[in-house]
Amino acid sequence: MSDRGVVTVRGLRKTCGKRVVVDGVDLTVHPGEIVGLVGANGAGKTTTVECIQGLQDSALPDRLRVAEALDLFATSRAHDGGELLEQFGLAGRRRSVFSSLSGGESQRLFLVLALLNCPPLVILDELTQGLDPAARRNVWTAVRQLHDAGTTVLLVTHEMDEAEALCGRIVVMRAGRVLDAGRPADLVDRYARRATVRFSVPDPPAPLLAEIRRLDGVREVELTGARVTVRGDRRTITHVGAALVRWGSVPEDLSVHVPDLEEALLELLGQEPAPGAPIPVAHEVAGGRQ
Amino acid sequence: MSTAVGRLARTELKLTRRDPLVLTFVFAFPVVTMLIIGGAFGTKPDPAFDHVNPAHWYVASYLTVVIAATGLVMLPVHLASYRERGVLRRFAAAGFPRLSFATAQLIVGLVTIVAACGLLLAVAAPVYGLPPTHDWWRVATALALGAVAFVSLGVLLGSVLPSARSAQAVGLLIFFPSFLLGAGGPPPHVMGSAVRHVAAPLPLTLLTNAVREPWLGLGAATGSWAAVAALAVAAAVAAARRTAL
Repeated sequence: MSDRGVVTVRGLRKTCGKRVVVDGVDLTVHPGEIVGLVGANGAGKTTTVECIQGLQDSALPDRLRVAEALDLFATSRAHDGGELLEQFGLAGRRRSVFSSLSGGESQRLFLVLALLNCPPLVILDELTQGLDPAARRNVWTAVRQLHDAGTTVLLVTHEMDEAEALCGRIVVMRAGRVLDAGRPADLVDRYARRATVRFSVPDPPAPLLAEIRRLDGVREVELTGARVTVRGDRRTITHVGAALVRWGSVPEDLSVHVPDLEEALLELLGQEPAPGAPIPVAHEVAGGRQ
Repeated sequence: MSTAVGRLARTELKLTRRDPLVLTFVFAFPVVTMLIIGGAFGTKPDPAFDHVNPAHWYVASYLTVVIAATGLVMLPVHLASYRERGVLRRFAAAGFPRLSFATAQLIVGLVTIVAACGLLLAVAAPVYGLPPTHDWWRVATALALGAVAFVSLGVLLGSVLPSARSAQAVGLLIFFPSFLLGAGGPPPHVMGSAVRHVAAPLPLTLLTNAVREPWLGLGAATGSWAAVAALAVAAAVAAARRTAL
């Protein structure tokens, strides 16, 4: 990965009257990355990308037809618009006016327009807001296609499943500042290492429960009738499984719950910095390095 | 035309044809009112109309109504709506050059004016006949300068007003008094002196004088022509500065 970013921001600060909206944000997006900018409402995500690109909410003229939009935005180096419409499932809407498109179709059209002239970078802000689940998945597929075509993507979202599904790297913001950044799996490891294992054993033998309590990483064992719930860190999963095998017990209802990115970020965003303490330093915001 | 201005102008012209406000206000309104008021005063030369055929007086006057409707109503609403909805931001983000949109709007406004004036003359010719033109050069240049002036004013208004609704309100508020006092209403000779004083400096009055007088042989209207020319230059410069993407 090149050290030179498609986007390089250093110490970005934006105020609105006396209110500091963005406060010293550093951000680098490298070629070929999909970087997610996540955080709660009011975290400063959209303001940050507006400062980067100067683009706020935008639209197309209501009476503009899909095919006309391609003609309007296509430069001399543009892709074949017809192929893109086919690829994004809009070929049948070629003569439809923009105002008649559904939310998902509009988003896919914006992606087609974004792809049309082979841009090095696309900034997508709350791309799937208000879309139904099927439409969201279609848009996700479109973003992956955009990425596969070599475009760098900066994705602003507060949908953690979206960030986890699409982004190679996530930058977490709160109150105008970057809290942390990293691959989704690394953020989960960093802020939500816990795991929960549940299984049922008829009349669970006390020695088995005692052994499980002594296992590395186990924090809590809870027994409700025949149902055993074991909470601890990630090592718990393997150790509990091994202990059950040793005791000759193979429960059919064993389930494992590992926190996802949403839980990890709730953990991170829920942390209150100590008064006067600096907000935790981002691990890889500046250079995308681990 | 594959330049940015060409693509924008071509697309905007297509959209203009689909806009009911344009079809109603720029194409239908001047034709209908010209037919009504031309018919109301008849075709006999009248002292109130400087001894010319009143219908011809209004045919010559109503070309400027088309120009004013385009500049004061169509363009401000169109532009304010684009800005309000973020269409201009999308154009800017797509890399259209700074002045491409303003230039395209100028082209669209001028083409719309030519088409609507053509329709007006085409309807007037068989009904009232077209008055002979005494000074073609003066009339043509006044129309061209007036079109540039009002289209630029429209672009300027559209860039200043915060929403399509406010643009429509302000545009109509400027248009109708101008229309009644300066072009499509009663002739100045039947107005009271106070109203005449109010009407005289209005841009639409100046433009109508600059078109109608050399057309009907009532004078050169040099002062009005010069005022319209100055307005065209000032408004075009201001509009270009204000509407850069």
